[in-house]
Amino acid sequence: MSKIRKMIMGATLSGVAVALAFSPAVSQETQKKDEANKDRLPMVVYDKNPYPSTYKPFPSVTTVIQNATVFTGTGEKLTGASVLMENGKIVAVGTEMDVPYGAKVIDGTGKWVTPGIIDVHSHLGVYASPGHRSLSDGNEATQPVTADVWAEHSVWPQDPGFARAIAGGVTSLQILPGSANLIGGRGVTLKNVPSRTREGMKFPDAPYGMKMACGENPKRVYGKKGGPSTRMANMAGYRKAWIKARDYKQKWEAYYRDYKAGKDVKAPTQDLELETLMGVLDGEILIHNHCYRADEMVSMVNMAKEFDYKISTFHHAVESYKIADILAKEGICSAMWSDWWGFKLEAFDGVDENIPMVAAAKACAVVHSDDANGIQRLNQEMAKAWADGKNVGLDFSKAEAIQWITLNAARSLGVDDKTGSLEKGKMADVVLWSGDPFSVYSLAEKVFIDGALMYDRSNPDTFWQSDFEVGYTKKGAHQ
Amino acid sequence: MRKSALKIALFASAALSFSLGGAVAETIAIKGGTVHTMGQKGVIEKGIILIEDGKIRDVGQDISIPSGAQVIDATGKVVTPGLMHGGSRLGLSEISMTKDSNEHSAQGSPFSAAFDVRYGLKSNSSVMADNRRHGLTHAITQPSGSDGIFAGSGALIALTGDAELYVAKGPMVAKLAKGGNRNVAWTKLRLIFDQVKFYTKNRSKIQRGEGPGDFLLSSFNMDALIPVVEGKQKMVLSVYSEDDLRQAISFQKETGVDLILSGATEAWKVADQLAAAKIPVLINPQSNLPENFGEIAASFSNAALLHKAGVDFAIIAGDVNHNAHTVNQMAGIAAAHGLDRDVALAAITSAPARIFGFEESLGSLEKGKTANVVIWDGDPLEVTTNSTHVLVDGVNHPLVSRRTLLRDRYLGLNKKPFAYH
Repeated sequence: MSKIRKMIMGATLSGVAVALAFSPAVSQETQKKDEANKDRLPMVVYDKNPYPSTYKPFPSVTTVIQNATVFTGTGEKLTGASVLMENGKIVAVGTEMDVPYGAKVIDGTGKWVTPGIIDVHSHLGVYASPGHRSLSDGNEATQPVTADVWAEHSVWPQDPGFARAIAGGVTSLQILPGSANLIGGRGVTLKNVPSRTREGMKFPDAPYGMKMACGENPKRVYGKKGGPSTRMANMAGYRKAWIKARDYKQKWEAYYRDYKAGKDVKAPTQDLELETLMGVLDGEILIHNHCYRADEMVSMVNMAKEFDYKISTFHHAVESYKIADILAKEGICSAMWSDWWGFKLEAFDGVDENIPMVAAAKACAVVHSDDANGIQRLNQEMAKAWADGKNVGLDFSKAEAIQWITLNAARSLGVDDKTGSLEKGKMADVVLWSGDPFSVYSLAEKVFIDGALMYDRSNPDTFWQSDFEVGYTKKGAHQ
Repeated sequence: MRKSALKIALFASAALSFSLGGAVAETIAIKGGTVHTMGQKGVIEKGIILIEDGKIRDVGQDISIPSGAQVIDATGKVVTPGLMHGGSRLGLSEISMTKDSNEHSAQGSPFSAAFDVRYGLKSNSSVMADNRRHGLTHAITQPSGSDGIFAGSGALIALTGDAELYVAKGPMVAKLAKGGNRNVAWTKLRLIFDQVKFYTKNRSKIQRGEGPGDFLLSSFNMDALIPVVEGKQKMVLSVYSEDDLRQAISFQKETGVDLILSGATEAWKVADQLAAAKIPVLINPQSNLPENFGEIAASFSNAALLHKAGVDFAIIAGDVNHNAHTVNQMAGIAAAHGLDRDVALAAITSAPARIFGFEESLGSLEKGKTANVVIWDGDPLEVTTNSTHVLVDGVNHPLVSRRTLLRDRYLGLNKKPFAYH
């Protein structure tokens, strides 16, 4: 019954550790001819992307949705507007548009259109349904720093949760390791599509994320297993890891410098853990930092300055409202629930207005789920936060608030140049809603990913069913 | 975007000190709103609700308001009975993951059925104050579990914010999953009922040591089950799969227990049988994931299909404590998936009151009932609707909680020179 709580407990207590993996991978050495010294070994360059995306957009037809209310994701609302998708891209959005010959026309009268919803914090696939221990693959809780593990290597593409999420309008999502560890490993950004393989879901060219966790969870998991058992040891643990990563980075830089200078030098030994951390220091991997309390978030900001890296996003961030000005200045996103609070002491100060208060400070506000049920109604959670803000005079337009689950989320993941808004040339990730997405009664009717109709509530042929469910239920019976 | 929140902060602080000063039930008239009575009078436009001594004295359009009554203008607003959560943990847990603020579990103690939540209730809980401002006025609060099938007795509580929160003894709570595998659990449950019957008849002898001693439960736990076995105390049994729901129907027929089924994820698959057996169920409408092999048919349509088949049901939220008030969002989700909106509202007001046997005092805005009333600035099932007034036992509580005070402190951050930087 208490699924939300189960999820939290699962993510925190059961702990499967996740590690950090570091820059994209290893393995294949590229050989480069060295003209100066033929006897030298070839220069060692590890492949940063050894498990590349094999995602290909599903077949699509040129489609126009006409006469709808459109939230563009750029902060605008258009009424009586059309959205044209062609070859997987947004081609045009506006009130006056010529329909290309042969295009499929969808009447959007009385309906709403938004960009596809993006969840920056999901454990689908790594804590899949059914919630059995054998599918509990989200926390490598065996040591506090596991930068070497990659969430994508735990993702089960047959998690029935993906099909539920698309019925809620979710087109992209980041799967993160859990929060047992100081450094939990790499996250992966996926397109929410049915696939036999993990690689078939990977969002092409999305940067990797790396999960870090503040506060209670690492303390609790490791307090009696050699530490950390305090917040000060949490900090020491991260800093020790960064010092090692800094050394590792310097070794590689020295190696390349010397090699290019013609010296016969040996490459450093590849280290999966440090490789991921080095990816952060190089600005290639984005930090996604589970952190509740204001004071801890500011310490994390200072640590990022100490080691010269950027934090993309604080996750959960229930106290972001206390330091929204600082987060705005530092350009850090907060990924938040609309109203979760009190399930642990570090969540006790959560307020319903956290999201609008962060947005009011002009900091990047994102609504996230961290939950296999919540991901199905991120629009409702956004709407609650929007209404709570309005109630205390933080009066955002709906067109602005929709960015909390679209463009701002894309920014958090580093894919805002590709998706998150209905702008010409972007991926045609689009949701057609039965009504205003700020209403509990509205449902996603049609969901397009890269222009392909991936879910149509009126057409059971489009309903996905995971292999796990075959033979048990009818397709779409969960709706 | 514009800001104008500071006056709210000031008002809130003043209001909290008022509420701490002691709650007094005054004569109150609520007028002008669209009143969903959830009773025989249906929906009354521009209705008047007159409240005296914590009770509803009258409801209608032509009611004279006594001079001296506090008048609340609800024009343009919606008035409903206070919301009820039929399976909460309210008053028993302040922060879930702290040991010293949790009183809901009998685990590790000798108690199972003998556990009773009434002794550990927290009167000044910040969790209850926060739920109240969102429109939740009363709840069944439940033990979470023991080392066996029976978790103990729950209670009906009112979110009064004071020591008067305990209203009445609630149902016995049982969790099939705590009994071992399904064969073991059903065998245990039947045996326990048989043994309690035998024990009841031979209690004196057994206590003198003259009877058989090999009971599954200790005598004090069997004592607590006597009213359940005799059909005088309701029993909430958590079961999820269609098979266990069928077993529960058979068990009810055999024993005559006054049964309420909770969880009931696959209830829609046995809806006709549940309706025929007149067994009510408590469901969480957002359950649509195959969390285990007993919930593979979980569906958003559960509520709508149960209603169609004529099953009596109440809607509860998966969040049983801090956001227990989200029962209205859950009802909205059920409505979005085919449930009639009026039925959805009933499922969080009148239906739970009826199912738990408190319909004489709760669940509707009718003469003589407890004045638990909420005024909303819109459709109470909508996620963008907020409560504007919440009355519990006729007391008009300010919409203030520790969380709103924290919010206001930080909304005012830039107006306060140094303290919070």
